[in-house]
Amino acid sequence: MNFLAPLAFAFAATIPVVILFYLLKRRRTVRLVASTVLWQRFLGETEASAPFQKLRRNWLLVLQLLLLALAILALARPYFSGTQKPSDLRVLILDASASMQATDVGPSRFAEAQAQALKWVEALSGRDQMVVILAGAEAQVKQSATSDKASLRRALNACAPTDAPTRLAPALRMGEGLVRDRPAAEIHLFSDGAAPGLEEFENKALPLVYHRIGVSGENLGIVAMDLRANPDQPRRRQVYAAIANSGTNPHPARVEFRLDDLLLETRSITIEGGETARLLFELNQTKEGVASVRIDGKDALEADNQASIISTMPRPVRTLLVTRGNRFLEKALAAVPNLELNVASRLDDSATVYDVVVLDDFVPVSWPKANLLSIHAFNTNWATGWRTLEQPAITDWRASHPLLRYVSLDNVQVRESVAVTPPGWAVSLVDSPQASLMFAGQARSQKVIWIGFDLLESNWPLRLSFPIFIANAMEWLDPANEQSRMFMKTGEPFRLRVPGPVTGATMLLPDGTTRRLETSPGQTELVFGDTFARGLYRCTAGTNRISFCVNLLDPLESRIAPREELRFSKRAGVVASGTQSTHQEFWRWFAAIGFIVLLWEWWYYHRRSA
Amino acid sequence: MAQLLTPRLLLALERLELMAARRAHGTARGERSSRARGQSVEFADYRNYVHGDDFRHIDWNLYGRLEKLFLKLYEEERELPVRLFLDASESMSFGQPSKFDFARQVAAAIGHVALCGFDRVEVAVFPQGETGPAERAARAHLRRVRGRKSATPFFANLASLQPGGAVNLNAALQRAALESRGTGLAVVLGDFLDPSGYESGLGALVARGLQVVVIQVLAPEEIAPDFFGDLRLVDSETGAIQEVTFGKYRLKAYGAALAGFVSGLREFCTRRGIRFFSVSSATALEPFLLKDLRQGEVWR
Repeated sequence: MNFLAPLAFAFAATIPVVILFYLLKRRRTVRLVASTVLWQRFLGETEASAPFQKLRRNWLLVLQLLLLALAILALARPYFSGTQKPSDLRVLILDASASMQATDVGPSRFAEAQAQALKWVEALSGRDQMVVILAGAEAQVKQSATSDKASLRRALNACAPTDAPTRLAPALRMGEGLVRDRPAAEIHLFSDGAAPGLEEFENKALPLVYHRIGVSGENLGIVAMDLRANPDQPRRRQVYAAIANSGTNPHPARVEFRLDDLLLETRSITIEGGETARLLFELNQTKEGVASVRIDGKDALEADNQASIISTMPRPVRTLLVTRGNRFLEKALAAVPNLELNVASRLDDSATVYDVVVLDDFVPVSWPKANLLSIHAFNTNWATGWRTLEQPAITDWRASHPLLRYVSLDNVQVRESVAVTPPGWAVSLVDSPQASLMFAGQARSQKVIWIGFDLLESNWPLRLSFPIFIANAMEWLDPANEQSRMFMKTGEPFRLRVPGPVTGATMLLPDGTTRRLETSPGQTELVFGDTFARGLYRCTAGTNRISFCVNLLDPLESRIAPREELRFSKRAGVVASGTQSTHQEFWRWFAAIGFIVLLWEWWYYHRRSA
Repeated sequence: MAQLLTPRLLLALERLELMAARRAHGTARGERSSRARGQSVEFADYRNYVHGDDFRHIDWNLYGRLEKLFLKLYEEERELPVRLFLDASESMSFGQPSKFDFARQVAAAIGHVALCGFDRVEVAVFPQGETGPAERAARAHLRRVRGRKSATPFFANLASLQPGGAVNLNAALQRAALESRGTGLAVVLGDFLDPSGYESGLGALVARGLQVVVIQVLAPEEIAPDFFGDLRLVDSETGAIQEVTFGKYRLKAYGAALAGFVSGLREFCTRRGIRFFSVSSATALEPFLLKDLRQGEVWR
């Protein structure tokens, strides 16, 4: 038994004071009685039968001394020393990722982590300091270095888990900065160990103590979801969902598919341990809504049991073709379903209403902001190294890119093309030995496909691949297509392009609170980063209303089995510490016993004199 | 004190007769049989006629047969001296009603019974300290009371007594034993809470040949104290100080101590043939007199 505050023994100086009070005469009530004979006899009899006559007379003193001794002991804060190393700074990192919401340890892993961290706070001694860092989607210092237990407790109790995937690296980086040049400092990580991207710490020799939280890995979770329009029937949608069983035992599940609150379909499946079931749901859509897939039933982790996606009604793509005349292109565009084509010979101000602008051999004065298919038109802002190639040979094309799906450029010849080195934001799609003939990419918020040659100076429009490419390009450029999948993973920022400048926007969060987004004048893009909770977010910006879904959809988080070892890389890692125990303070016991003695003393005092 | 005994109680007491264990040794004539020969209707013996004897007592029938003169002797009926020792010390003034009030009521009752039985009543009040002239006169009158007619002044004198002062019970009783001439009934009324004890005093009375009755009167507060806490108790007579811490939880121990004291006194009395009664001053008087003392064979 050791003492955290041995200075409190100075209070022992009060013991003689108590005894002194006893030595002083007690004030007694004077009472005249007929005779003291009986009283003498009474005292003689009772005291003769007591073994400790002197003590018995002063039981109250004994009780008070006992009470005082207990109080002093409690103030001295005794503890049984644990196996912990002495450390003048401990950085407590709490993993606040979605998997920490698992309830395989009651009430939840995060609560268990909080409880364990609180034990370390209780064991904090003297002038040693602690820091509390919450590692959610972003690392937050909840309490800077302090010795004040109350602040640390408050900081720990204020921590809450998020629905975001684990990102321990920023927190560890923060902790590393704090413990640098302090040889006695330690970082304590309370986590289940499902943490990718820690390679940077491989060679850093972090003084890391990994406290493993959690026991079980049995969990079903939705790890992927997507929604696609049926190409033939624009009103039909297909929703794809993947449900993974991260446990080792087969798990039956009932999967519900809903549009808004309407239950459309229920499927009962059994997923083998470690397997992933892929489900496809058909949706015949008549209105916009939130399509959601839900695993009915209770398992360890609730956060991954539901995934939602916004399904918007198909809307024609407003497309402007600026051309001096190109029948091939016009026909190819007209063949694209769900396309509202306008043909113009020059570009004017009304171009802002279009979703996609196609520039065919036309260099505009001011370039449109909409998504762009630029054919034989050059913008010197995009790239450098413009040069003209005579009869370039097409040597390679990126067939894996969605734009070149089912597109073969085997028998395409070009008479003359402008070639360029693709800019950093784009990838080259078609290459000649000398340079790129075609690239595609996203410059800030604008998607651009650039083709270096005039279509009419090639035989490509005569090939089967041309209309396929145009269809692919229109699908790729369709901004609604992008927005129809208005869903993202937790922790990812939400970006919304608005046609005109907005003065302000509000965001309705899944928990019902409203957040106001600050915008600067002239801003045409809204960015919202606080997407740590899964659910439906509704954004109102001026006249624009947009909803989007945030889902966990993280196989790593759904695989909740606690890791024995926190791996940095293939060769380095930290094994969970099972034996390190904290100092056990037990002044509360002394205080409790002292309280009982106090009650006893009170009772005794009143009993003997009442 | 307006009236020591109620008329109804007086009537009931008149029917009682004090029980004397021994023959009366009084000098005055009374209604008790004695060893003395004198005038009565009870025949005792014959004796030879000597010159000067009263002719009226000669048994003429015997003279007719024997031609000798014999005198018929009769038992002389004498009075029974009843001595009441009344403790009037300061300690007797305690209790509600006070121990002294109760004790003199009992004394009045015993005196009344004795007076109705033509017995002599002597009341010794102690301590014999500083008293006023009126009380001194009362005490003097109480020293010897005889005859039924004296009952009224006897009660008045008893009622005029005031308790006060300290007493040494042993000394007082020993002195009373020396003063008492002849045997008789001795009734000691007091609380017997004397630091020096009671043994030698009572022993002296017994040694004198008196038939002793002890009536111990205790106040209710002495039987079950109603004051608690850290106390400094002052003896009303000696001024002695006793510090005690007392609580309800110690009532039982106190009761045991009191019972030990009373049983010690009782045992002392029983061994010496003394009739002993211990009574609280809050006890109803009538049942005590008519039932307890009767059962205790003080009277019948």
